Amino acid sequence: MLVLSRKINQSLMIAENIEIVIVDIQKDQIKLGISAPKEIPIVRKELYDAIKKSNISAVNKKGLPDLATIIQKNTTKK
Amino acid sequence: MAKIKTKNFGNIEIADTQKITFPEGILGFETEKEYYLIIKEDSPFLWLQSSKTEGLAFILVNPYLFIQDYKLEINHRDWDSIKIDPKKDDFLVFAIVTIPENPEEMTANLQGPIVINPNEKIGIQAISLNDEYSIRHPILDSLKTVLSQGDK
Repeated sequence: MLVLSRKINQSLMIAENIEIVIVDIQKDQIKLGISAPKEIPIVRKELYDAIKKSNISAVNKKGLPDLATIIQKNTTKK
Repeated sequence: MAKIKTKNFGNIEIADTQKITFPEGILGFETEKEYYLIIKEDSPFLWLQSSKTEGLAFILVNPYLFIQDYKLEINHRDWDSIKIDPKKDDFLVFAIVTIPENPEEMTANLQGPIVINPNEKIGIQAISLNDEYSIRHPILDSLKTVLSQGDK
């Protein structure tokens, strides 16, 4: 992995059309500004990972239980 | 018609028109690119069944059952990849349902919607740019309402 040091308001370029600028630096958090063509997807990695994890748990189950039974059970309980 | 093996319904015959290609796969299942969309008329759920892996099937639901003004905001690249102009073309939106050990705690993923171009038969799992939606949105209460309205 390439590691670069940057100060506040400095930036870096990825290819000729993506710019990442350090907008603010706090103790354990930095704010990045990203200028990129609109077709470049930019997603926080933890969101990407969470959706992946959710997909995997969605298919782990054997199948759909009988919805009517669940709802009836749930209604009776209240 | 195609004969396919399904996770929930055994061997079934299904119209070829239900086959949807996901060129990028679905997150976590990138190598699976071809699914059948199984519609059950008496159920609020649909199934996205892998055409080659019997055990791989997602349960889908219409997100508008839970959030009536659900706003689908996704990247331009995602729209382009399914050949949709959101201003002009028709498209379908679904949320993937997770049913945990206790099925009463079932949730729908409103943050990673499945978007399908019904004419070109191409789909994608997009990541919503609007991150106010939950990956685990509880759905049982809303489903109860929907089903009881259906009884009337």
